[in-house]
Amino acid sequence: MAEAHQKHHDYHIIAPSPWPITASIGAFLMTFGGVGYMRYLNGGSFKLFGLELAHPWLFFIGLAVVLYTMIGWWADTIKEAHEGAHTRVVSLHLRYGMIMFIASEVMFFVAWFWAFFDASLFPHEAIQASRVEFTGGQWPPKGIEVLDPWHLPIYNTVILLLSGTCVTWAHHALLHGDRKGLVNGLALTVVLGLLFSFVQGYEYAHAPFAFKDSIYGSTFFMATGFHGFHVIVGTIFLTVCLLRAAKGDFTPKQHFGFEAAAWYWHFVDVVWLFLFFSIYIWGGWGAPLAG
Amino acid sequence: MAGTVAHDDHAHDAHEHHDHKMSFLDRWFFSTNHKDIGTLYLIFAIIAGIIGGALSVAMRAELQEPGIQIFHGLASMVYGFEGDAAIDGGKHMFNVFTTAHALIMIFFMVMPALIGGFANWMIPIMIGAPDMAFPRLNNISFWLIVPAFLLLLLSMFVEGPAGAYGVGGGWTMYPPLATSGQPGPAVDLAIFALHVSGASSILGAINFITTILNMRAPGMTLHKMPLFAWAVLVTAFLLLLSLPVLAGGITMLLTDRNFGTTFFAPEGGGDPILYQHLFWFFGHPEVYILILPGFGIISHIVSTFSKKPVFGYLGMAYAMVAIGAVGFVVWAHHMYTVGLSLAAQRYFLFATMVIAVPTGIKIFSWVATMWGGSLTFRTPMVWAIGFIFLFTVGGVTGVQLANAGLDRSLHDTYYVVAHFHYVLSLGAVFAIFAAWYYWFPKMSGYMYSEFIGKLHFWVMFIGVNMVFFPQHFLGLAGMPRRYIDYPDAFAGWNYVSSIGSYISGVGVLIFLFGVFEAFAKKRVAGDNPWGEGATTLEWQLSSPPPYHQWEQLPRIK
Amino acid sequence: DQPQPWQSTLQPAATPIMEQIRWFEQYTLWFIVPITLFVLALLIYVAIRFRASANPVPSKTSHNSVIEVVWTVGPVLILLFFAIPSFNLLTAQLTQPENPDLTLKATATQWQWNYEYQGDKELAFDSYLLKEEDRSAAGKEDKSIYPRLLAVDNEMVIPVNKTVRLLVTAAPTDVIHSFAMPSFGVKIDAVPGRLNETWFKAEREGLFYGQCSELCGKDHAFMPIAIRVVSEEKYTAWLDAAGSDLEGANKALMAAVDGGDKAVQLAENVSN
Ligand code: HEA
Ligand code: HEA
Ligand code: CUA
Ligand SMILES: [Cu+2]
Repeated sequence: MAEAHQKHHDYHIIAPSPWPITASIGAFLMTFGGVGYMRYLNGGSFKLFGLELAHPWLFFIGLAVVLYTMIGWWADTIKEAHEGAHTRVVSLHLRYGMIMFIASEVMFFVAWFWAFFDASLFPHEAIQASRVEFTGGQWPPKGIEVLDPWHLPIYNTVILLLSGTCVTWAHHALLHGDRKGLVNGLALTVVLGLLFSFVQGYEYAHAPFAFKDSIYGSTFFMATGFHGFHVIVGTIFLTVCLLRAAKGDFTPKQHFGFEAAAWYWHFVDVVWLFLFFSIYIWGGWGAPLAG
Repeated sequence: MAGTVAHDDHAHDAHEHHDHKMSFLDRWFFSTNHKDIGTLYLIFAIIAGIIGGALSVAMRAELQEPGIQIFHGLASMVYGFEGDAAIDGGKHMFNVFTTAHALIMIFFMVMPALIGGFANWMIPIMIGAPDMAFPRLNNISFWLIVPAFLLLLLSMFVEGPAGAYGVGGGWTMYPPLATSGQPGPAVDLAIFALHVSGASSILGAINFITTILNMRAPGMTLHKMPLFAWAVLVTAFLLLLSLPVLAGGITMLLTDRNFGTTFFAPEGGGDPILYQHLFWFFGHPEVYILILPGFGIISHIVSTFSKKPVFGYLGMAYAMVAIGAVGFVVWAHHMYTVGLSLAAQRYFLFATMVIAVPTGIKIFSWVATMWGGSLTFRTPMVWAIGFIFLFTVGGVTGVQLANAGLDRSLHDTYYVVAHFHYVLSLGAVFAIFAAWYYWFPKMSGYMYSEFIGKLHFWVMFIGVNMVFFPQHFLGLAGMPRRYIDYPDAFAGWNYVSSIGSYISGVGVLIFLFGVFEAFAKKRVAGDNPWGEGATTLEWQLSSPPPYHQWEQLPRIK
Repeated sequence: DQPQPWQSTLQPAATPIMEQIRWFEQYTLWFIVPITLFVLALLIYVAIRFRASANPVPSKTSHNSVIEVVWTVGPVLILLFFAIPSFNLLTAQLTQPENPDLTLKATATQWQWNYEYQGDKELAFDSYLLKEEDRSAAGKEDKSIYPRLLAVDNEMVIPVNKTVRLLVTAAPTDVIHSFAMPSFGVKIDAVPGRLNETWFKAEREGLFYGQCSELCGKDHAFMPIAIRVVSEEKYTAWLDAAGSDLEGANKALMAAVDGGDKAVQLAENVSN
């Protein structure tokens, strides 16, 4: 852009980009189609101007557009980084941006924790007649069998903490120019991340309670499920870093993509600790165990 | 405030250097330029304001007289209902209009105008930055709000409650009315509209925080930063920290509706009141999100037309920080009647009233800025003075409402409607118009007509006061809000209020004509039409500013 | 009581709490109206005194610590003046009386109220908006007493000068409504699954109207609340009869009340 005359600053003036608007189209199709998909799943109807739209396909088209956009957008960003657009001040922006993003994610989790504590701290509030009836005045609610925190959940805690140390190992290796260490550390992190998701999936499949019909299941699956979604996103993020690292990307001086993934991973880690202590241990205290 | 600038900038020669080579598609759809994106936002806000205003005028037309006047007709026109079905459809449709009116005005008019529009345009310029920190992200913020608006508009044509169309749950969308009460897909669309516009705002907030913290021109410390930048910084933090909680709340609404969860369903151990906590934990900061940018703008306008620096700059900045911070811990003043404990109500009563103190600092500092000044009453200044007075009226009734014991009588009556329109329709909107006239010459390069601007002000001033002042009386007398029909005793003031809304409608037409006139007449505005009082950086650039400003960063002494 | 044309104040009080609310509202006006007028006066003053033609050279003052402290501390003091009576009012409202004379339960459903008398004599009935076509059959032709959108088919009947505990809820699978009675100073949400509680003590006889005050769907504007406050004898007679024949009991009560109207008014005039 700025070829016509000189800019005298280090900020990044970005050329016009199609990605925002494709993202917008994707977001529309995904949400609008999502309504149709949900209707389709529970056998409802979604009629607009006489047209029956209770189908899954719009949603998936939207999802594809969003994924395509993400790939294109990040590819552009990486290209710009290689072109040297990420000056010191620009990478500072990226850092700030990532921190803010994580802060907003934290507030997202606040909502789930709020729902959980609202129910688990006050299962016996007298004026909440229906709730007391449902929970029997206790938490976990009467009739609920919970997962033993000292079984799979504690293994998963260890797995996740271990993966956190692996990513730190990779980071150190990167700082010391040790590419092999970087790749190995990252690969191990990704494997542990996948293992976590796998264990979590196994646990979900064998959980003695469901997402529906009880506040215990609702809060449990919403909080841990949203966390699980973040684990998956984080794993993909780390996988991308792994591929880039294997291709020779990242230098000891410039590797914000990696750092962002690592931050995100630590964030996911910390959230898990809160989930583990409050929902699995404290929130399951005294209830009969499944299995 | 920003001091003087060392003049080593060659703003003028850069004027309109690139855009002529840029295709229309590149410039307006793929844009990465904060000024173009700001312009898109402003156009979007004006369109949304017209739609939201039209909905409100329809509501007022319905309420002009007791009985059901127009909505059965509208329902049969739009949805093809007949006979009794038209009456029932019309009753629901009124609630749909109320809901859509509020959501459009808040999420698609005020926020896009103040944050997406004016802040996008002016913040980089005022802090001496060439653009936003994340120009591409900036554009996605804009382009996400378009599908969000579309989702909301489409929801009005999709089934809500069985046999009726649209979301009629109020902008607060309380369950169970928003879950089992309206099982149709319309509510899902509205929820997604909020998700998408929320994502847009969170990304925008990240962008503004990064820009303001990181891209200030050399020498511009935080304590020298223009107040508008302070206002937007605080606003962005409020967005960043409150919106995700709303997103969480409405996600639970969505799963309760579609996946059988029981967050808000008491029969499964859930609690409908939980939603209200989550909503208002966002909702109260939201009202400050709507007004703080206005506060910033008013400070600049008052200072410019008084030819004086802002009085008590630091107090002004930290008052906004205080309002933002305290704004996070007062949410349950919207919930005094849900059955909160005495201790909780006492706390929220007191915490809420505390906000009057920093707000008072702002009001009095504006007056003190004028004090001893040399005042000229150009259109922006007139709007600004109108803002200060009318916001005070809305603010003090807010303090009454904060008193839980009194709110017992006033909650969910038109007194509340009067309160929040005084701070919104007569507060935030007046700030928007003040900003419009203040920066229009800068943004377009053309001067608006002083006569049309002032006419617009007076018609609007009379109109909106006539709409909303009598609503205080209706509220005191006990008229509940969200009512399509009311006992005959309330007819008198409702009639006055409706007439007022037609006058406001005329005001909006005058505004539109004024915009048209300015572009038709093409009176050249000049770089600084306001004279020595206008000290912030934007007035040192050409009008309109170069496509990329500050290619040589300004230096603040 | 009911709203009056062009009314611009709170409805007259029928309970001590409403008395206090009315007082408090007036009291706050004594602060906020002067504050608003003060701001207006300041604006007018500066607009005239410091207009460019009268004051061509602006001062450069931008700080004055004393005045800044004044306009911080001033509002704080005013708010303390608000807070003390406000806390008293709130405490009075939310302190449930120890031994209520009567306990009633109001249950909301889309779109009617159900009233349940809990005591030795059990009684429960629904209360709907009075339909226009039912007016004459119910003997409620007089729109000044039974206004459109306020009148109901079966009023809640309570004795005067008795403390009533009111439990409020909504049907378990319904939506939120709100029980509001302006001249009693009562407003409490009817939430499914939640049993809210409030109280009042009506100190004057009469027919009092309120309306549902939480958006509950299309007929939100059409589920009024009506309470008839009568002397204890009339109340007992009504309650005795209502168990078997609600409509008859209501009619008898109406006849008794409307007949006795003049006497009541006279008594009020004397006591004033
Ligand atoms: C721009 C938006 C905005 C702003 C700025 C405010 C500002 C305030 N609001 Fe308002 N409010 C809304 C928008 C806003 N509100 C909306 C939309 C609703 C309804 C939502 C819904 O239900 O749909 C609402 C509802 C609402 C309620 C709930 C009412 C109910 O539903 O029953 C309450 C109760 O406490 C309240 C209080 C306040 C207070 C104390 C302030 C304070 O911040 C005001 C402070 C300002 C001043 C006080 C004036 C200036 C000060 C001085 C001149 C100093 C001296 C003054 C004194 C010492 C008193 N508001
Ligand atoms: C910013 C918010 C905002 C604004 C501006 C308005 C403006 C108006 N509102 Fe609205 N209103 C709400 C927010 C707002 N309202 C909310 C939150 C509710 C509660 C909903 C609920 O209960 O759920 C509500 C409810 C509400 C009711 C109560 C409905 C009910 O309870 O059933 C009524 C009734 O009279 C009403 C009327 C009006 C009228 C006549 C205007 C007029 O002032 C309209 C005149 C038009 C304008 C002032 C807009 C002009 C602006 C532009 C054209 C854009 C310009 C842009 C640029 C320059 C960039 N509104
Ligand atoms: Cu019931 Cu509103
Ligand atoms: Cu609030």
